[in-house]
Amino acid sequence: MLVTHARQLTFAHLWLAFLAFAVALVLGVWQMWARSPLPAPFVAASTYFSAVTAHGTAMAYVMPVFMIMGFGYYVAETALDRPLPAPRWAWSAFALGLAGALMATVTIFSGRAAVLFTFYPPLTASVFFYLGLVMVVAASWIWCVLMMVAMAQWKRANPGRPVPLAMFATVANAVMWLWTTIGVAAELLFQVIPAALGLKAQLDVGLSRTLFSWTLHAIVYFWLIPSYIAFYTMVPQAAGGRLYSDTMGRLTFILFLIYSLPVGLHHLLMDPQQSNAFKFLQVALTALVSVPTLLTVFTIGASLEIAGRLRGGRGLLGWIGALPWDRPLVLATGLAFLMLGFGGFGGLVNMSYGMNAMVHNTSWVTAHFHLIFGGTVVIMYFAIAYAIWPAVTGRAAPSLAAQRLQLWLWFAGMLVMTLPWHYLGLLGQWRRVATFNYADPIIAGWGPWVVVSLIGGVILLGSGLLFVLNLLQFNVSREPHAAAPGELYASAVHPPARVPAALNGFRLWNALVLVLMILAYGYPIAQFFVGDSPQALVHRVDERR
Amino acid sequence: MNDPDRLEQPWRLWASVAILSVFAFSVLFGFVLMPVMQGRAAGIDAFEAICRALGITPGSPAARQPTTNAKAQPATRVAWSADLLNSLTKATAAGESLAGSCAGCHGRDGRAVEVKLYPDLAGQSAAAIYKQLHDFKTGSRPSALMTPMVQALTEEQMVAVSAHFAAFPVRPIPAAQLPAAGAAIEGLVARGDSGRGMPACNACHGDQSGGPTEAPRLSRQSREYLAAQLRAFKTGERRNDIYSRMRSVAAPLTESEIDGLALFYASTRTY
Repeated sequence: MLVTHARQLTFAHLWLAFLAFAVALVLGVWQMWARSPLPAPFVAASTYFSAVTAHGTAMAYVMPVFMIMGFGYYVAETALDRPLPAPRWAWSAFALGLAGALMATVTIFSGRAAVLFTFYPPLTASVFFYLGLVMVVAASWIWCVLMMVAMAQWKRANPGRPVPLAMFATVANAVMWLWTTIGVAAELLFQVIPAALGLKAQLDVGLSRTLFSWTLHAIVYFWLIPSYIAFYTMVPQAAGGRLYSDTMGRLTFILFLIYSLPVGLHHLLMDPQQSNAFKFLQVALTALVSVPTLLTVFTIGASLEIAGRLRGGRGLLGWIGALPWDRPLVLATGLAFLMLGFGGFGGLVNMSYGMNAMVHNTSWVTAHFHLIFGGTVVIMYFAIAYAIWPAVTGRAAPSLAAQRLQLWLWFAGMLVMTLPWHYLGLLGQWRRVATFNYADPIIAGWGPWVVVSLIGGVILLGSGLLFVLNLLQFNVSREPHAAAPGELYASAVHPPARVPAALNGFRLWNALVLVLMILAYGYPIAQFFVGDSPQALVHRVDERR
Repeated sequence: MNDPDRLEQPWRLWASVAILSVFAFSVLFGFVLMPVMQGRAAGIDAFEAICRALGITPGSPAARQPTTNAKAQPATRVAWSADLLNSLTKATAAGESLAGSCAGCHGRDGRAVEVKLYPDLAGQSAAAIYKQLHDFKTGSRPSALMTPMVQALTEEQMVAVSAHFAAFPVRPIPAAQLPAAGAAIEGLVARGDSGRGMPACNACHGDQSGGPTEAPRLSRQSREYLAAQLRAFKTGERRNDIYSRMRSVAAPLTESEIDGLALFYASTRTY
């Protein structure tokens, strides 16, 4: 059952996400051009930093938030097979988020928010930039509550039955997002917005950076979880097999909830305001994300092996060739795993204190998060959109070949862009810089690699535009879509008849997150309120001298 | 297994045990073992090393700190605070009475009597005036004329006199228009020269710049005075700029660029 409000909600949310994505993509290519030795138009530091702010805001906040909300509404109706509770609230959230995104966009393009998308005072943007983003986050909070209510209502109607994995994972993400946004909300509410309004002339940047770190890592898992939902619930079905283990899926999403949060200090390894021991503690907890990651690689590997063998694959690795790689969801999963491998390796470097010291302020970091987020996560967003678009529009896909081409281009473009970019980081190319002096003999050697990276960016732009075109193709397709939307989800090899409450809800895990957060972040935050800590003068971007 | 409690109990227990043991291991390793071993190698006793690891005492458990007892010599001893900046916005009667002794050179209304030698103070940013007074006093910017003048001034008096002169209107552009500085000079002002590692002058001195608090406004100072200051930065004779900003910007400038930039600022309105 996919009643009209989820269909329209998903349609509206995903289109908004992808429009923001398309605009940000164009800006991204221009930014790479500006940093390259090739002469680019409009190059000035102020234009560059406004463009980076717009690119980051669109890609890191607007696009994923609306994508996740839209996909969540879809899952809530199709996996639970019941109408969404309070669709009016969902539409209000959409309107609120849209208004916020527009407000932030106008502020950025009027040059009053060239502060990048990370909230690192004392440089502060116009207050409308922050208020706009607060509205986007508030919209996502409404979504979180709706997801939790939908699951609770289903549980009440189906006592003792396990919540379908896709919905369990969606709610895990909603719960995690509520925890995640506490850090940045506190930073904005008590520090940045008062500073932007001129109510505060000084603020403690150590505290702001610590609060932002609370949000900074978990937000990545928030982006990532829809991809994992697709891996666990949609990919085995698309490949023609079954999910190897439903329990592994539940454990994975629970572990993401727990280990996304008390780990943010690994973003502050070079910051002096936090001590070695707390950095060590949070890095150790960071390392545990390897557990859900490896669980997933194993479970999805096993699920695909089941599918491959059912399709006649033989021998140790023969099942890989027997998989239906012509199906976009399967292809995207293969490509996403490859990028996850490269990106995961880079991530291990970043979380290692000594190696991080070498790459911290270099392009390595930028390349890393583009590969992980832009690569692994976003390619799965494409595949999810392709998979659910027939149900959303009621029409069958006009061309799978165009979808496959788009996914391959994205993969190729991402590697061509990010691998040289990583290398440039190792050579010492710094990040957050508008232009380079290629006349300098040391920097001159970077030039060819930057140009290769730019070519990767251009391929990505082509792929992104093809993606938008592919979605538009559904509108001209005449062929109606027949299959029921619920058929998208795989059943497990052993479908769970009954699971312990611990694997069917989040009460226990919320308690454990609370304990871990108090232990890991309690003192690192409390220290700012004990004794005098140095204050920095607020610098407002939109203050005219 | 039909008793729901028997299905639930192990989860609650073992999940908590597993997570808290990971935590306990990390604490033991990160808070005790590692700092003690690092401290031993650096000659720091175990207790102090643990305190440092926790962040209760400053420094790293892995290195003896401070590494030197040499006294730092900052380029300036001015420390900006919100209170200081706020007090600089208020012109007071105290400022007016003190300004009498400045008038001989800088004029009653902040317009210098001999513009080739002395800067105009009228309409200058109060923060910029205060910074220079402070530097004259502490010796960061030694001057045969100014250093003795400001020795007797207190902190409050320096603030008052800075706020006083900042409140006057700037000198109008002289009737006899100066020649235009040329496209190359305007390029330096707007874009700098990345080939020589020079940022745009506008980056700090523009009317919408994000420059340092103390960056002065430059327009309508005399060509001679501006050129003399750029040359003093270029040679290193003047050295009260934090992070050697102006010294590194001025060093690659040619003599004609210095004169061109001085002309540009002398003849414009908005910088």
